Amino acid sequence: MIQGEKRVKMSISMGRYYFAVLPLLALQSLPASAYPEFQQFVEENSHRTVNCAMCHVNENGPVGNSKGQIGSFTPDEMKLLNQARAAIDPGVKVESPILNQFGNEIIKAIGKKTFVKIKSDPGRLAELLPQTSDLDGDGIPDAKEYLDGTDPLNKFHGDPGKLFFINLDRYKMHIILAIVAVLSLNYGLIHLINGISILQAGKSAKD
Amino acid sequence: MIDLDRATHSLTQFVSERFPVEKLNFHSMVEKKEVPIHSMSWGYYTGGLTMFFFMIQVVTGLFLLFYYQPTVSDANISVEYISLHVAGGALIRNMHAWSSSCMIFFAMVHLLTAFAMKSFVKPREITWIAGVILLFITFTFGFTGYLLPWNQIAVNATKVGLQSVEYVGQYLPGQLSEVPRILRETFQGESSVGQSTLGRFYALHVVILPLLLAALLGLHLLSVQLHGMSQGVDQPAKKFEKFISIFLFKDLTLWATVFLGLFVVAMCVPFDSILPYPLLAPFNALGATPQGIKPEWYFFFVYYPLELLPFWVILVASTVVVGILILTPWIFKGTSRRTLGFIASAAAAYLVIMTVFGEQIYEFFKH
Repeated sequence: MIQGEKRVKMSISMGRYYFAVLPLLALQSLPASAYPEFQQFVEENSHRTVNCAMCHVNENGPVGNSKGQIGSFTPDEMKLLNQARAAIDPGVKVESPILNQFGNEIIKAIGKKTFVKIKSDPGRLAELLPQTSDLDGDGIPDAKEYLDGTDPLNKFHGDPGKLFFINLDRYKMHIILAIVAVLSLNYGLIHLINGISILQAGKSAKD
Repeated sequence: MIDLDRATHSLTQFVSERFPVEKLNFHSMVEKKEVPIHSMSWGYYTGGLTMFFFMIQVVTGLFLLFYYQPTVSDANISVEYISLHVAGGALIRNMHAWSSSCMIFFAMVHLLTAFAMKSFVKPREITWIAGVILLFITFTFGFTGYLLPWNQIAVNATKVGLQSVEYVGQYLPGQLSEVPRILRETFQGESSVGQSTLGRFYALHVVILPLLLAALLGLHLLSVQLHGMSQGVDQPAKKFEKFISIFLFKDLTLWATVFLGLFVVAMCVPFDSILPYPLLAPFNALGATPQGIKPEWYFFFVYYPLELLPFWVILVASTVVVGILILTPWIFKGTSRRTLGFIASAAAAYLVIMTVFGEQIYEFFKH
């Protein structure tokens, strides 16, 4: 009887263990892919061409033997990859060698479990990402850059309209100084030419 | 039998009428020069604006020369270095890129307004032809400069452009059919677009084309100064203003305003932000060609028709247009300014529609 209870308890605890570990095993056994659902969503939403390089090191995704692809990894890099794959919950800092800074930031912010879960609704990623995070410092949050289909790691790349107003505010002092300098130069140059032409006219009249 | 004396006399007369050396003095070219005031007076500023943008190109281009490396291994990195690590580098590069587009835009506007104002009639034929060649040189500047950042769109668009040159050969007779292939090989320098191509395009962009442009611009400006501003409208203008100082003052003020506009745009909107980022990645010879490869906006008027229509149609149309442009002073000698204005407006409408809506038109007919 006691042995039977023990067996039941053991099977329950084993069941819990498998319940906890199975998703992890399932995630680890997922094929390395660039999740085309997200790419497709961004292209439809932004009407811009995007590729895997938005989140991955390699523009062709993680499969292959080139830089940033699994076939080229050293044992240490494989270890980092597996650590990243195990980051089920949010808040874990990951340094996956297949992902770029933005890709790693996504996993850190929402965890891999949620990331895989929202595959069917890729638009939710923009809501789940930290709204203030701006990895390239261009003034446009990463979540917005994701929706716009622009490079979140390139400060010279973003929605041109948004960049215009952000930079206009950021560089207003430079612009004001440039306006003062150019108008002063123009004023001075015009008066110099005017002075020369008056002198020339006076000289001609004298002759 | 050609009468040599008569031919020489005619030629001398033609040249002396186009270049009246007796007017080559301060009094005629500066003191006496006046600009008519009428409804099309704004057209007189378009040439100066084009030249102003060329001056900006020269200055910003010289700054870029200090850091740019014309090798396939370093070109893209050096451009990135200029943008990220050189003080004011991003601003200079953006000004160079935006100003190139402005230069081409105003060169086209200048050509259309000069056409509508009938500024090509005797004795201004040489001025007109020099202007047309200057426009083609400006386009070549754009084409050669596009390759220099050595990114995906640069190399792939250049490949398509050079391939199009070779296609022309199949429509030419006999020995002439070999000329486009030889031209492509000469500019490409090797079997595919590579280091030789980059070196040649760089030499063209920073030495050969600027020298050619400076020489022709000198001829164009000399001719403009010798003949003064054209009448521009049918009814002779009742009012005139002195070139020095009134017109020059207005010109300088316009240049200052335009410079400030360019400065603000270059400061606030990186030129690269217009393109999808996969096209800005360094060129990878082993990688697949990314989607969305197309030339700069100022080639859309020929690019989209080329995508929709058979190559020979575009070839014939382009040859006819170039022929008409060169022979304009003789073809449209007797045409009224009203008709010329209508033709120029139609051409402008075509250019605007193909540039702005070219992609939609292409999608509409293809799907």
